Amino acid sequence: MKFRTRLLISFGVVVLVPLLVFGLGIRREMSKRVTAQYKGRVDALVNVISADIARESDRIGARLAALKSSLVADDRFRSWVVRGENRGYVLDYAGDAMRLAGLDFLQIQDDEGRVVSSGHFRNEYDRLGPAVPGSGLALVRAAAAEGSFLALVTSDSLRIPPRRFRLIGGIAVDSQFLARLARDPELSVGLVLPNDATNADSGKLIVELPPLPYVDATEGPGRVEQARIVVTPSSAPLTALQRNVNLWFAAAVLVAALVALLLAGWLSTRISEPLEARIAIGDIARQVNHDIKNGLAPLRNVFRHLTQVARDKPVELPQVFAERQGTVESSISYLETLAANYAKLSPQSERKATDVNSVVRETIGASGAVRTKLAEGLPPVSADALVLRRVIENLLSNAADSLEGKNGTVTVTTERGNGMVRIAVSDTGRGMSKAELDRAFDDFYTTKPGGTGLGLSIVRRLVLDSNGSLNVETELGQGSTFIVEIPVLS
Amino acid sequence: MPAYRISLFAGIALVTACAHARVGTGVSGAGAREAPDESCLLSTGSVSGRVATITIGLTDAVDPRHAPLPRNDAERLVFRHLYETPLRLDCDGHAHAELAGSWVKDDAGRRWTIHLRDGAQFWDGAPVTARDIVFGRSGVGYTLGALEARVVTMTLAKSQDDVPPVLGDPALAVVKPAPDSSWPIGTGPYWATSATTTAQEIRAHSSRGDTLLFKVAASGDARDLLDAGVDLLVTRDRALRDYAATLQNFTVVALPWDRTYVFVSGDGGAARFDAGGLEQAVHAEARRAEGDFWWRDLRACGIARDTAPPAPTSKRILYSRGDQTARELAGRLAALTHAVATGRAPDDFSAALAGGKEWGYVVPLPRVTADACRSARDLLPTWPAAFTALVDTRPTAIVRRGVARWTVDQDGTVHLAP
Repeated sequence: MKFRTRLLISFGVVVLVPLLVFGLGIRREMSKRVTAQYKGRVDALVNVISADIARESDRIGARLAALKSSLVADDRFRSWVVRGENRGYVLDYAGDAMRLAGLDFLQIQDDEGRVVSSGHFRNEYDRLGPAVPGSGLALVRAAAAEGSFLALVTSDSLRIPPRRFRLIGGIAVDSQFLARLARDPELSVGLVLPNDATNADSGKLIVELPPLPYVDATEGPGRVEQARIVVTPSSAPLTALQRNVNLWFAAAVLVAALVALLLAGWLSTRISEPLEARIAIGDIARQVNHDIKNGLAPLRNVFRHLTQVARDKPVELPQVFAERQGTVESSISYLETLAANYAKLSPQSERKATDVNSVVRETIGASGAVRTKLAEGLPPVSADALVLRRVIENLLSNAADSLEGKNGTVTVTTERGNGMVRIAVSDTGRGMSKAELDRAFDDFYTTKPGGTGLGLSIVRRLVLDSNGSLNVETELGQGSTFIVEIPVLS
Repeated sequence: MPAYRISLFAGIALVTACAHARVGTGVSGAGAREAPDESCLLSTGSVSGRVATITIGLTDAVDPRHAPLPRNDAERLVFRHLYETPLRLDCDGHAHAELAGSWVKDDAGRRWTIHLRDGAQFWDGAPVTARDIVFGRSGVGYTLGALEARVVTMTLAKSQDDVPPVLGDPALAVVKPAPDSSWPIGTGPYWATSATTTAQEIRAHSSRGDTLLFKVAASGDARDLLDAGVDLLVTRDRALRDYAATLQNFTVVALPWDRTYVFVSGDGGAARFDAGGLEQAVHAEARRAEGDFWWRDLRACGIARDTAPPAPTSKRILYSRGDQTARELAGRLAALTHAVATGRAPDDFSAALAGGKEWGYVVPLPRVTADACRSARDLLPTWPAAFTALVDTRPTAIVRRGVARWTVDQDGTVHLAP
C-alpha cells in the first residue's frame, strides 16, 4: 500500500470517526428532546380536550335547563300529562325543541324510562329509551329511523304532578366532532367502545382520557358500560424530523469526508512527494552500488590473477594478460555503458536483435564453475544485450551465492520456446522456502549478509521492461531454477 | 265556536258517506252527461257567477309523461280535468257519462254496448272513435270491441247488473300522443300543452274560454299558495289544514279515506308488530286501516307468482322518499321491530319493491279501484308477499267559498262539477 493511500485512510479515519460519533450523539439528543416536546404537546391537548368536553357538558346542561323551564310552563304538555290531550303535540315537541336548542339528541322519558317524545326519532314513542346514568356525561348509541348514531348526552329531570320526567339531550359524536376536539392536525381523537377492536395495543402512542359511561340503546335500553376517548399522536412529524436530521447528518458526513479527502490528498502530496523522491534516490544509489560491484568483480579477479602471475610466473605475464585482456575490456565497456545510462537518470534500453547464446558466453567468460547447455540455432531475441547481461549476471551471482561455498553446480541452459527464447539459470544450492519465495522479488529483501536485496528486484524489472517473463522453481535444500523468457524478434 | 270550525265539521259530515262508498249502484240501460249527485258536491257556499280563471294549488310535481295514470295527488287532480274515461264514478259509486253518451246491457249483463257521446272529440278537433277506446286495451275479465265507428262493446267474463265500473278506470282514459307537446292529447273539457306549462304552473284552457291555473308550491310551503289566493288546495298535511281553518274565505272539507298504507314483506313471520296506535305516528289525517281490501283476493286476476326472493341479509324497511306518511310509518315500524328505515326515490322504490330483496316495504295503495287486476299489476309485487294494512289516510280539500262547485269521485279525486 502506498504511503499516500495510507495517509488518506488515516486522515479519513481521524476525521470521520469523531464526526460520526458527534453526529450520532446530536441525533440521539435531538430525537429525545423532540419526543419529549411532542409528548408535552399531547398532554396539553389532552387537557384541552378534557376542558372542551366539560364545556360541552355545561352547554348541554344549560340548554336542558332552559327546555325544562319551558316544558314546565307549557300548558299543552301539562294537558297531556294530566288529561291525555294533545298527544300529537307532545310527540312533535322534542323534535322542535331539539332543533331550537341546537341539540342533536333529545328525549323526554317518563319515570319508567319510556320515550314520551323523541327529537331525532319521533316515532320511537313508548319504547324504552337509553338507560343513561343519573348525572354527568355519557355516550349513547341511539337508534334512529335510518340507523344509529353516537351522542354525547347529559340529563335533567322535571316533575309535573303526578308524574316525573327526564330530559336527555346531547350532541352528535361524529368524525367532525372528534376533528374539532383534536384541533391539532398531527393528533387524532378517537373513541374506543366496548367490544371495539380499536388497536389500543398496536404500538402507537395512545393517551386515554378518563372513561365515560356508554349505553348502546339501538335495541332496547341497553346497559351502562365504559367507553374511552383516546388521543393518538401521529408519528409522522417525529419521523419526518428524524429523517431530516439523518439527511442533513449524512450530507454533513459526506461533505466532511470530501473535504478530508481533498485535504489529505493535498497534504500527502506535500509530504509524500519529497519523501518518495528521497526513497527513489536511495534505491538508485543502491542499484548503482550493486551494478558497479558487478562490473568491478571481473576486473578485481583479472587484477589478482595478473598480480599472482607477475609474482610467481613473470614469464607468462604477457600471455596471461593477452588472455584476460578481453575480460578487462568487456568489464570496462560495461561500466562505461552503465555510467552513460545512469547519466540519463532514466535509462532507456535499446532493444534490437540479440543473440542470447553470445550474451551468455560473454557473461560467463572463462569461469569454469558454470556449466552451460546452450541450444544451437536460437533465433535472435528483441532485447538490449546489456540488459540481458545484467539479468544473467545477477542470476549467476545469486546462484553462486546460494551454494554457500559448498560443492555444487550452476548451470545455464538456453532453449527455444513458442515465440520466445528461454534462459534457465539453475543451481544445486540451498533453495528457498515458500516465505522466502514470496518475498524474493521485493525491494531490499535479502538473505545474504551484506546483500542489498535489490538483485532479483532489478532482474524482474529488467525482464518485464524487455516484455519478457521471469519464473522461479525452487525447493528448499535442493536448489533453484530461474527461468527467463524473452520474445523472439518478429 | 268559530265559523271556520263549523265549516270544517259540516264538510266532514258531508263526505262521511263517501268514505264508505262502494261500486255497485250505477245507472244501467241509458246514460247521459248529467249533473253529479248532490251528495258528492263539496259544501262550499253558493256560487253566484262564473269565474273565468280558477286557481288550484298543487303540493306535488306533475309529470305529463305519466298521463293519464296519475302517480300522486297533484297528477290525479290535473289529469282528471284533462282526460276522460268512458264513465265516471261519483263518491257514491254511481256511474256518470263522460265519453260514453249511453250504454245498453245485453245478454243478461255479459255484454254491454256503449255509444260514444255526440260531439266527443280530441283537443285537436279529431272525433273520438270506438277504435280510440278499444285499440291496445284489454283487461282481466273483459274484452273490448269496436262494433261501429262510435259504438264500443264490452264483453264480460261474468255477467253484471250494473254498468261495469272498470269503464271508469283511468287506464281507459282516451289519449293520443301530441307531436309538439309533452302532454298527450285528451278529450277532456280542458287542454294543456307544453306551451302553457312551466315548472311553477300549468294553464289548462277550455273551449268556453275558461282557464284552470294549477300552481305548484314553489317554496315547498303550501301556505304560500293559500296566502296567494288559490281557489282549491288538496292536502294531507294537518298543519296546513289547521292553518287554512284560520282563514276567513276558505272552507276545509275532509275528503273520503282514499289511501291505505300497507306493510309488504316476504317474511310474514318476522313482520310481527303491534299495529295499534300507528295513526299517532303520522302527521296526515289517519285512522286504523279498516275495510275489505281489494288486494286480499286477486285469484280472478290470474297473476303469475314469481318465486320467493332470497331472505334479506339486513332488516331494512323501504319507503318512497317523497311520501312523508310512508316515511313516518317506516320509522315507527323500525322502532317497533328494531329495523332500519330507508327512503328511495319513487322509481327506485318501485323497482326495489318488484325485486323484493328487502325485509319490508311501506306501500301506499288506493282504497278503491275500478280495476283491481290492473291496480294489482301496477302496484303490487309478483313475489309471494304478506300484506299488513297499517293505516288509512285521507286528504283535505281547502276550498275558497263561492268560486266554483266541486265534486268528489269515488276514488277521492276532487274536480269541478260539470
